[in-house]
Amino acid sequence: MKNTGFYLSLRIFWYLVVIFLYLPLFVVVLFSFNEANTAARFTHFSLKWYGQLFSDDTVLGAFKNSLILAITSSAISTVMGTMLGYGMYTHRRRRLGWLVWLIYLPIVMPDIVYGISEMSFFTSIYNMLGILRPGLGTMIIAHVSFQIPFVALLVYSRLVGLDAKLFDACHDLYANGIQRARFFILPILQPAIIAGFFLAFTLSIDDFVISFFTSGPESTTLPIYIWSAIKKGITPEVNAIATVLIGAVLAVAMITMAFQYVRSASTTSRA
Amino acid sequence: MAAMPNVEARGQATFDCASEAAMAAETKASRATSTVRLIGLTKTFSPNIVALKGVDLDIPGGEFFTLLGPSGCGKTTLLRMIAGLEHATGGEIEIGGRAVTHIPAHKRNVNTVFQSYALFPHLSVRDNIGFGLRMCGVKKPDIQKRVIETAKFIKISELLDRKIDQLSGGQKQRIALARALINEPDVLLLDEPLSALDAGLRGELQIELLRIQRRLGMTFIFVTHDQQEAMVMSDRIAVLSDGHIQQVGGPKQLYERPDNLFVAHFMGHSNLFPIQKHDANGVYTELGRIVGRFESGTHMLIRPETVTLTPGQSEGDNHLSASVVERIYRGSVAEYRLNCGATELVAKCNNCGQDMFEVGDTVTVVVETDGLVTLNE
Amino acid sequence: MSDTGTAWQAIDSRPRQRRISWDTWHLLGVITPGVLWIVLFLVLPSILLMGIAFMTNGTYGLPQMPLSLDAFKQLAGYGFLGWSPGNLYTVIRSVWQTVLSTSLVILIAYPVAFYITTRPAHLRPLLLLLVVVPSWTNQVIRAVGWMNILAPGTPVSNLAAQLGLITPEMGLFPSKFAVVIGLVYNFLPFMVLPLYATFERLDYSQVEAARDLRAGPVRAFFHAVLPQTLPGLMAGTVLVSIPAFGMYVIPKLLGGGKSLMLGNLVARQFSSASNWPLGAAGALIMIVVTLIGLQILRRMSRRLGGDIEVVL
Repeated sequence: MKNTGFYLSLRIFWYLVVIFLYLPLFVVVLFSFNEANTAARFTHFSLKWYGQLFSDDTVLGAFKNSLILAITSSAISTVMGTMLGYGMYTHRRRRLGWLVWLIYLPIVMPDIVYGISEMSFFTSIYNMLGILRPGLGTMIIAHVSFQIPFVALLVYSRLVGLDAKLFDACHDLYANGIQRARFFILPILQPAIIAGFFLAFTLSIDDFVISFFTSGPESTTLPIYIWSAIKKGITPEVNAIATVLIGAVLAVAMITMAFQYVRSASTTSRA
Repeated sequence: MAAMPNVEARGQATFDCASEAAMAAETKASRATSTVRLIGLTKTFSPNIVALKGVDLDIPGGEFFTLLGPSGCGKTTLLRMIAGLEHATGGEIEIGGRAVTHIPAHKRNVNTVFQSYALFPHLSVRDNIGFGLRMCGVKKPDIQKRVIETAKFIKISELLDRKIDQLSGGQKQRIALARALINEPDVLLLDEPLSALDAGLRGELQIELLRIQRRLGMTFIFVTHDQQEAMVMSDRIAVLSDGHIQQVGGPKQLYERPDNLFVAHFMGHSNLFPIQKHDANGVYTELGRIVGRFESGTHMLIRPETVTLTPGQSEGDNHLSASVVERIYRGSVAEYRLNCGATELVAKCNNCGQDMFEVGDTVTVVVETDGLVTLNE
Repeated sequence: MSDTGTAWQAIDSRPRQRRISWDTWHLLGVITPGVLWIVLFLVLPSILLMGIAFMTNGTYGLPQMPLSLDAFKQLAGYGFLGWSPGNLYTVIRSVWQTVLSTSLVILIAYPVAFYITTRPAHLRPLLLLLVVVPSWTNQVIRAVGWMNILAPGTPVSNLAAQLGLITPEMGLFPSKFAVVIGLVYNFLPFMVLPLYATFERLDYSQVEAARDLRAGPVRAFFHAVLPQTLPGLMAGTVLVSIPAFGMYVIPKLLGGGKSLMLGNLVARQFSSASNWPLGAAGALIMIVVTLIGLQILRRMSRRLGGDIEVVL
């Protein structure tokens, strides 16, 4: 395999793909600083749209809703997902094939089916029993249900990567069940649990369709706000909100990357 | 013994394992606590998979005892049952005269050195070694003190502040050993602890492990599939096959007086000849007639180092005529494959500077009856 | 996390009966919350939705008894005014746009996944992350990004107009082209990840053997490389095509009403058009497709050595 022409074109292709991947995000960020109210031409650098944004109560309300939704749902799903992933690992010799279905279902199912199912379910329940009124509560329930599998898979893959004898060693060294959880399982899963929380967080921030269909009149989140705003056309203000969201996700990505780096650094030094 | 952790620290421990440990400390002089007795032990994983089919064993305190056998013979299962990591389907386990069959691993004063080392990757070397004491509720300063003492004893003081992934295989092995020994177990279990190491380091650690065992006088139960390793290290060896104990004995007994064909093969013997006829003065085999008084048996074992080769043909009792088929030079010995009678025989000659035979030479094999054993299938 | 483990608890309790049940209690204890949540808030609603598909449309768009196949007839085009192809066109368009965008995703992702495996091991996680990070931003925002780029009067649109591909006042958005771009953009990472997983464990000795037997690069690829990456390719295809088939946001924002897909048809029945049974019938098709995809995915993950985490 000495075909340098092949590798050169492969490399060029890679750079093109990276540009393709980041161009839309870059454009959004760029035009959020555009003074003119157009996406066709960049006139002057300006922060005025951000100023407008942070004085708009609707936007601030949506921002608050987004954060409450993401943090609450991630916290719940991290706990449940960790338990589920741990259970899948501990009992992996049992016939748990059906669990794989259940785990993949939320990952594969189209958003729209997901959203519609939950919407018709919640509305029916509300009409019949008067509980689960569409709003932040139902949104949190819906988000948790699609976050759980991702956290569970992260935790599971971390455990599968471990030497199974470590559990024996724990037991052999006098640790009872509670001590084992406290001094071995939780510390060893810590990176996976933290990564799982952040992944769940970005999934929640990322979601629009499921939020849209399970939301109520007072539970507008930032993506829902953008959705209704762009019906009037793309404005720099929309770009500004989008930039804030991109910034939040990138920050989380950086943190995750740092974790990834620390982990890969500690595994490569072994070699 | 001086370097090992002291008894008081144990006494302060508050957890359930501590009382047992205190008891262990009191009777340490007599070593009565460290005998291991297995009575009719069976293990069935599923109706079709029977790992152990009734094992009886008596291991006196302070012995270096080895479970030897091919993979899948049940030796690791047996070890895990002594550790409490595996549940016995039937039979009894006694440690120090106390029935522990239904006592879980974390309440048994027994520790294991695992084949994969199983060091906790999230802890430093220091915390790995101190883990068992920490779980028993020993106070931090005491743990620190004993970790340092133990590290000195195992000669790993300079590694204490390393991370686990910064260690070589041999270093990990020593730390796994320290992590088990610091708890002063009644019995130390070692599950093929050296099999992942290269040959040189392995030999070094074999000797060192043996010295540690002698100094502590602790009962060691060692699992291996390597008969050389077993012979070098053990006071006694149990050969296991297919869930049964085939023979128990000292290395010399197993090597020179194997009970049956399986043990003989497993100890590395190849000169095994079916006995065709047995009479008062000797036996008939494919090699020819061998004169002497032998116990009854189906096969005859001739150890290759017990025969003498002389050039040419000569007559006499137990003088067998043979020709050299192959010569393998091993430095200290020369090994010959010989055509003898209707079969083949291997002979080993000490290399004392004498001339060697060439392939095709006719030689006389002189069989010493002292080195002969009859055995059963 | 509560009290854990299997082995030592097993020893604590002598009778075999109790041993099994303790183990089962432990299993139920740790997995019940998560499983129950998914079953209650996803599986159960989906089953109810499938039930609605067999009901009749009532006055306010809410489903009513009796059971019927009306919704499916409507989906096939039979309405009050006789047969019209509208709904059927939407279904066919969904299939076509899914096939087109999935193929494009494969063509782009394959070299990308291969390129990443040729890089030094410590760089690979970072490169993968580089591919994945854009998909962590919101779908709507990504669509907004493309709206910014493809709108009339932007450099890209002007270039296309000068090349004579479109008239200057049209812009590249809204259009079918924009929808396909949006779909490819959206789902590229979902193909790169499983493909990368198979490339990473690719047995290069097979490639060398093929080359050694004088196979040209093309034949070496088809005989030695492609079969080995097939599980990843299949897994990726499932992960891309099924969500793409039900896509809602992108056709709505980038397609401008002319390139609507099944997802939009379904959504409309639950809002403005008010015909829950028809919407549910459309959703049912997608659920069935999803289940087929899940089965393929399970097979593939087994062939990838049982790693069920292959998706991540």
